[in-house]
Amino acid sequence: MSSSNTVLDFRKSAITRGNVFEGNSVPELHAKPVALKIESVAKSYALSGSELKVLEAINLDVQSGEFISIVGASGCGKSTLLRLIAGLDIGYEGAIVYQGKRIEGTDLSRGIVFQEHRLFPWLTVEANILLAFASTNVPKAERKERVKAQIELVGLTGFEHAYPHQISGGMSQRVAIARALVLRPQLLLLDEPFAALDALTRLKLQQELERLWEHEGLTTILVTHDVEEAVFLGDRVVVMQSHPGRIKRIVPVRLARPRIRSNPDFQCIKEDLLTDFV
Amino acid sequence: MSIGIRAAIGLNRVAGKVIYNRLRLVSFISPIILLLVWAWVTHLQLISPQLLASPLQILDSFQELVASGDLQEHLLKSLSRLVFGYSIGAFAGLLFGILMALSKNVEDYFHPLFQAVRQVPIIALIPIFILLLGIDEIFKIAIVINAAFLAVALASYEATKGVPKPYFEVAQAYQLPTLTVYRKLVIPAILPPVLTGLRIAFARSWTILVASELLVADSGIGQMMQMGRDMFRLDIVLVGVVLTGAIGFTIDRLFKWGEANLIPWRVA
Repeated sequence: MSSSNTVLDFRKSAITRGNVFEGNSVPELHAKPVALKIESVAKSYALSGSELKVLEAINLDVQSGEFISIVGASGCGKSTLLRLIAGLDIGYEGAIVYQGKRIEGTDLSRGIVFQEHRLFPWLTVEANILLAFASTNVPKAERKERVKAQIELVGLTGFEHAYPHQISGGMSQRVAIARALVLRPQLLLLDEPFAALDALTRLKLQQELERLWEHEGLTTILVTHDVEEAVFLGDRVVVMQSHPGRIKRIVPVRLARPRIRSNPDFQCIKEDLLTDFV
Repeated sequence: MSIGIRAAIGLNRVAGKVIYNRLRLVSFISPIILLLVWAWVTHLQLISPQLLASPLQILDSFQELVASGDLQEHLLKSLSRLVFGYSIGAFAGLLFGILMALSKNVEDYFHPLFQAVRQVPIIALIPIFILLLGIDEIFKIAIVINAAFLAVALASYEATKGVPKPYFEVAQAYQLPTLTVYRKLVIPAILPPVLTGLRIAFARSWTILVASELLVADSGIGQMMQMGRDMFRLDIVLVGVVLTGAIGFTIDRLFKWGEANLIPWRVA
């Protein structure tokens, strides 16, 4: 078992906080650079005079190219954490360090996909994706090329000129993923991207997401409340707890990809994770 | 939208098909019945012919007014006041409404005053406008500007306030330049409600213009009606009534046609 210092640091801090952390579940990591460093992050809201803690003592190092799943019940602050990483909300304590700097705003190298597709209803599929380039200096011709390639990659060729209301929810979410990927981000953030979709579409998009992740070699953070989804996609599964939102434990998933849901090992990890919730 | 509601409550279904909200032949039935009743009432002379002329007499008076060129002159006068005042009022209202929704400062300074002023019936402002501006051309135009401004400002303010916050997060995530945020987000998002606001503002502007011409004017369709009343030529008044309605209706239809064609993304 090889482990880098950052992981040992994390382990130490987790133990000092008294969290459950199984000794044999330290993830196996190669000497990959840290893409994102979350250090004692806390966040609270003022709620009718009193202070409501939504996040407390969050520590996490995300390795470059890693797929992190964050699971937790509603209200555990997992989406809030993702919004902080995206830079959509900059009022927090501690530090989220990305590319050597504390995150103080959004950045085009961090793509985000929300639970709702959030495509602009008045723009076609193509125009919605093209919009991502608005503040870049990519030449017009190249933009068109990349949008076309990205549409092909998410399997929507032929729907370039459709409006969002003319395509299904699953297709819209694919467009949203394409919009996030077309800028070739280094970090992809997904906030329950498949939660609003039907079960069959969800399975299909999970597979597609894995394929895209391998294809682009992206560091990815997925927030979900679907434990199976977390295990299917994650290199590590971060389990969060509510009141205040904090990390309960981190479970590595050392299974070959693509993962087989019926595999006993897969089931084992899933059952283990579910004990945190039921 | 209304079609969805009708379908939901089971109205407007003919053999399982939903009928769309277009002007159809049946739409002419009620005006024709009104005309027939009108003709019948005048034929029986239930109301003195001096008070209520028959539809055919109205047509005669109309042709007479057209032949003398009076009608065209009055119409041109009214419509030019309308177009001039409405353009200024609507444009200013549009900018002001959007600005008030986007800028906290502008909202803090002007919103309460705006809400108070718009509660005052425009007709109640006519005496003040006359005192301030006299009874010349400027007065009628100012009345139209005021009517258009208030209605459009309200519509564009509410519309801009109503743009879903999640869209602005998308703009933030992609760091869209300010101009792009306006062109690709704010303007298309507010277009449907603003177009409805422009249409309603037009109807208000047109009615208030005719009303103010009735009160004080030397020309215009309202003044023509007032003159007709003074001369006890109620046929001329009725020509004015029918024309006012017809013009309002036509322009309203034009607005609706524009709405349908400017908003291709609307779920039909």
